[in-house]
Amino acid sequence: MSYQEYLAARDTVTTIGQPVISVIFIISLALGIIAIYQMLSNDSRAFRLASQLREMDTALLVIGFIIIAWFHLRIYQTIELVYPPELANYMGSTMGTSATSLRFVVPLWIETEKLYFWTLCLSIFLAVTNYRYDFIKTKITALFSSAMNIMLAAFGLLTYYTSNPFIEPLPGLHSEITGWYQAASVSDPNVLYGALYQLYFRIIYYYNSEYMWTHPPMLFIAYASLVVTFVGCVFMLFRREKIFDRISYNHAKVGYLLLTVGMLIGYPWAVVAWEGKDWWWDPKINGSIMMWVLYSAYLHTRIYLKRRNMWQATAVLGIICFMSLVFTYLLTYIAPGIHAITQ
Amino acid sequence: MTLELNIKPKTYDFYLMILTSAVLAVIGLVCLYGIGYYTYTNEITPEWTQTKMYGDYIDSMNHLIYPFVVLLLVVLGLCIPKRIVPRQLLLAAGTGILAATFLVALITNISTSLAFLLAVSIVVQAAVMVLTILGRGRLTYEREGYFVQAGSSMLHLGTVIFVFDFVSMRTSELHLGVFWVATILITMGTVLSFYPGEAGSILRFLRSGGRSS
Repeated sequence: MSYQEYLAARDTVTTIGQPVISVIFIISLALGIIAIYQMLSNDSRAFRLASQLREMDTALLVIGFIIIAWFHLRIYQTIELVYPPELANYMGSTMGTSATSLRFVVPLWIETEKLYFWTLCLSIFLAVTNYRYDFIKTKITALFSSAMNIMLAAFGLLTYYTSNPFIEPLPGLHSEITGWYQAASVSDPNVLYGALYQLYFRIIYYYNSEYMWTHPPMLFIAYASLVVTFVGCVFMLFRREKIFDRISYNHAKVGYLLLTVGMLIGYPWAVVAWEGKDWWWDPKINGSIMMWVLYSAYLHTRIYLKRRNMWQATAVLGIICFMSLVFTYLLTYIAPGIHAITQ
Repeated sequence: MTLELNIKPKTYDFYLMILTSAVLAVIGLVCLYGIGYYTYTNEITPEWTQTKMYGDYIDSMNHLIYPFVVLLLVVLGLCIPKRIVPRQLLLAAGTGILAATFLVALITNISTSLAFLLAVSIVVQAAVMVLTILGRGRLTYEREGYFVQAGSSMLHLGTVIFVFDFVSMRTSELHLGVFWVATILITMGTVLSFYPGEAGSILRFLRSGGRSS
């Protein structure tokens, strides 16, 4: 097992994954167009075709995810950071570790894979919702289904253009791995120590951290669920149909539960991984608290849905909540702070 | 002393909900201000987090948030024994606790008074949770059902412990341990409140030794 095998796996991911995401792109485009046509024409054939495209999209997203998982497995199998004996002794005395090597256990939702994972979760939520509700029954519910399909199409297109995980798989991790092997090829222990020092903490507190396997996926699943809540709230603005509230609320419950637990789990991780660093009231943390309190307010207002004006107020609040969610997600990329650095 | 509330219970709860939502929205606005301040300051002084400015920012955010956290505890009724005492006594109980908190703030400082309020809330909510789970006492809840009520009491207790842990125990060795207790209570409380039917089914399934009814 070696760096060469890792590179071969990386090439394979691009070779297999690129056609998959290209087909996802085409299907997303077609899904979006047909869903818009269905909204305008209320054609039941278009509804069925859109449903089939959505199912194909979900299947392809799952296949793409399996490819990603395989690549991560190959990273674990092929990349091993073996310390030279003098460094192993040093690590033992300074960091209290008896290990003489390190492997990457890379989570499936980092770098460009994040948006892909969110899209996959959304497609699964839509599959479940479509299975549970007979949307074709009435014109308005068929419209609702189309709106959700448009959201999924938008996510598919966004993933392809801005966060394609197959075009250059895990560029950040790749440069770190490459940097390690370059350092190892120079017969200077200081260079190797420098590379190891940087990677050690990154692997222990980021890639291999158990929190990395719980905190981000919980949030992404929550985000996906809350997309459905958002679409429901938009429809609540225009029609007082109980089904929209029911769907919004059911997804808000899932989303809120995961959001709460996911955010809470992030705290002990931050305490350990960012010890001595400046992370209190970091923009991403501010954004997350803002999003959480807004969703709390949404769940409170929803209790009094039958009161005058509360239906609209709840719908508007649900939409504001989603705007804060998107804003919070983007903060990693647009705002400074420790979350931006970590990413 | 008995004070009568001349407002219909449903109207009272509704306005309390409006107030709760408003307080939550204001906390959201404080966070939005924090995002803006952090981003703007970072633009002007890139290394500002290494200076005293960062400490001042943390302090100012804490001081901005604290009053609304207190208000939230009050409007959510977390610091008053609303499930235990009759509604007529709530105003008296709430006023008394707030007056005591204010007194502590005058004698000491805002953080200590908040810690006092939270400690009272923990005692109240712990009593409510125990009574609810045991099915004792004539507790009043908005919603019916054992699991919803048990979940609600766990959620409330977890929330006050969580805030107390952050306000008063951040430097304590027990900080993370207390945090996990709060997290478990909040998680279980949320699950039971949101999915009481499913929780009941699972419990019945477990009680029957795994035989589905």
